[in-house]
Amino acid sequence: MYSIFKKVIFFTLLLGIWELLFRLAIWPEYVLPSPISVYKTLIHGFQDQTFLIGIAISMKRIAIGYGISIVIGVLLGLLIGRVRIFEETLGSLISGLQTLPTICWLPLALLWFGLNDKAIIFLVAMGAVLSITIATDAGIKSVPPLYIRAAKTMGARGLNLYFEIILPAALPYIITGMKQGWSFAWRSLMAGELLIVCLGLGHLLMIGRELNDMSQVIAVMIVIIIIGILVDRLFFVKMEKHIRERWGLTKG
Amino acid sequence: MSESIGIDSLVELDYTNVKTEAQTSTKLRIQHLSKSFQSKNGKVYVLEDINLEIRQGEFVCIVGPSGCGKTTLLNIVAGLEKADSGEIWANGRRVNGAGTDRVVIFQEAALFPWMNVIKNVEFGLKLKGVNGSERRNTAIEYLKMVHLSKFQNSHVHELSGGMKQRVAIARALAMNPEMLLMDEPFSALDAQTRWILHFELQNIWLKTKKTILFITHNIREAVCLADRIIVLSTTPGKIKKEFLVDLPRPRDDNDVNVAEYSTWVMKELKAEISKVVKCEMDTDSCVECDIKCTTDEPAKMDIGGGI
Ligand SMILES: Nc1ncnc2c1ncn2[C@@H]1O[C@H](COP(=O)(O)OP(=O)(O)OP(=O)(O)O)[C@@H](O)[C@H]1O
Ligand SMILES: [Mg+2]
Repeated sequence: MYSIFKKVIFFTLLLGIWELLFRLAIWPEYVLPSPISVYKTLIHGFQDQTFLIGIAISMKRIAIGYGISIVIGVLLGLLIGRVRIFEETLGSLISGLQTLPTICWLPLALLWFGLNDKAIIFLVAMGAVLSITIATDAGIKSVPPLYIRAAKTMGARGLNLYFEIILPAALPYIITGMKQGWSFAWRSLMAGELLIVCLGLGHLLMIGRELNDMSQVIAVMIVIIIIGILVDRLFFVKMEKHIRERWGLTKG
Repeated sequence: MSESIGIDSLVELDYTNVKTEAQTSTKLRIQHLSKSFQSKNGKVYVLEDINLEIRQGEFVCIVGPSGCGKTTLLNIVAGLEKADSGEIWANGRRVNGAGTDRVVIFQEAALFPWMNVIKNVEFGLKLKGVNGSERRNTAIEYLKMVHLSKFQNSHVHELSGGMKQRVAIARALAMNPEMLLMDEPFSALDAQTRWILHFELQNIWLKTKKTILFITHNIREAVCLADRIIVLSTTPGKIKKEFLVDLPRPRDDNDVNVAEYSTWVMKELKAEISKVVKCEMDTDSCVECDIKCTTDEPAKMDIGGGI
């Protein structure tokens, strides 16, 4: 309770200072709009649905790109984690590629797909896939051999062993990788939408810039931050905690 | 407490007698089994020329000091590890990999935390292709046997150590294996829980008549549970002695007879062990002596509480 109280005070204070700076009129409004006009833009953006449409388009892209990266990432992680030859070859390629900032894939994406949705989805997928692959690989390597032995004496073989035992046992790691992957995917999505002009939240930011409408820029930034927090805190953090508890990885 | 009580019935095994009896219903036959591991300091011989026969419905305990190869032996029987040489026949088939006729219960329960209790018990049946409702009924039946049917929807992390071990027993029994292989399943539990589980296991055994191979380093536990106790020595593990335990069931760890049998077995083993130690002390090879003396030291054996 006490920490919420501190947060409320902090943010009220921040808004107060912001409003004060605005009233002092040191900077023109297109540099520093008032919190009230940002608030109005936010309300307006949701009322005329431009923000909702922007959110929907961005979420659709990330859902597709991130979905692809989960499937590919988990499969690659499985191969690297269980097959020696893939570990020695693909494994080193993956760890090499991970040093490359995702946005460096943009020129390649443009040449392959053109200035469109597909290029953005490709960027999103590239943003998340390596984290998920690496986490899956680590998770599979840390599966307690006891689970595998127990499953084998109960008749688990081949694919059953992979999908009923090894993957679920590795899930705490995979979720952590997915969480990290999501944040990379979200960043790549915004970068892609800023640079490839075709709707979405990133595009709304650019429109704000083009119209010299600073309140729109800040309002969209706030929307982006809130979506990021919602997904991270309400989904991934909870999920991670729940799974670690179920899997007996946290004490108490 | 008369000191001669029951000792007559705890005789050393008359090998020839058992063999003829066994020929008709041998469940497990281990012949000339040897196993070594490659380590940094060269080969470590863990098991050497193990020969053992277990009859249908027999409850056999293997005892021996820590590191003598009990787990290795059980894993080889389970088909989870390969022997260097020798043959193992289980249920009339040569062992060549894991099989659902020999289910293992490990020291840690090895329940799958992503499944709830009943899903864990159903797991083996699901792999066998048993249909949903039949699977569920069987699982509930065995959960009832270990008195845990109320916890069928609980998650694994909500159970105590003893409850987990009981679920593991139910999970193994649900598969209706010909043989249960148990590797110190109760050693991580407190004395109270262990006492209860000794009762439950005996009752289950009396009811199901499964063949059980049970590993422990606790002689009291072995006397409480076994028809026959097999003692392994270390480095390399060899069968040193066998004892028959012929006491009425269900037995109680704290029963006077059980306690006295345990003491007697301990005494026998001490005599045996000190004989070996003495013999090896006389040899000149100090290195070899060192290894063997320390690993054979009787004090290292956990003889169970109260003795
Ligand atoms: N994979 C392995 N590689 C090398 N050595 C091994 C391996 N597994 C077991 N050993 C060795 O084999 C010996 C027997 O091990 P094992 O686990 O069978 O003993 P144990 O009788 O079950 O002991 P405990 O009572 O402590 O469980 C030990 O000395 C151990 O160091
Ligand atoms: Mg062991």
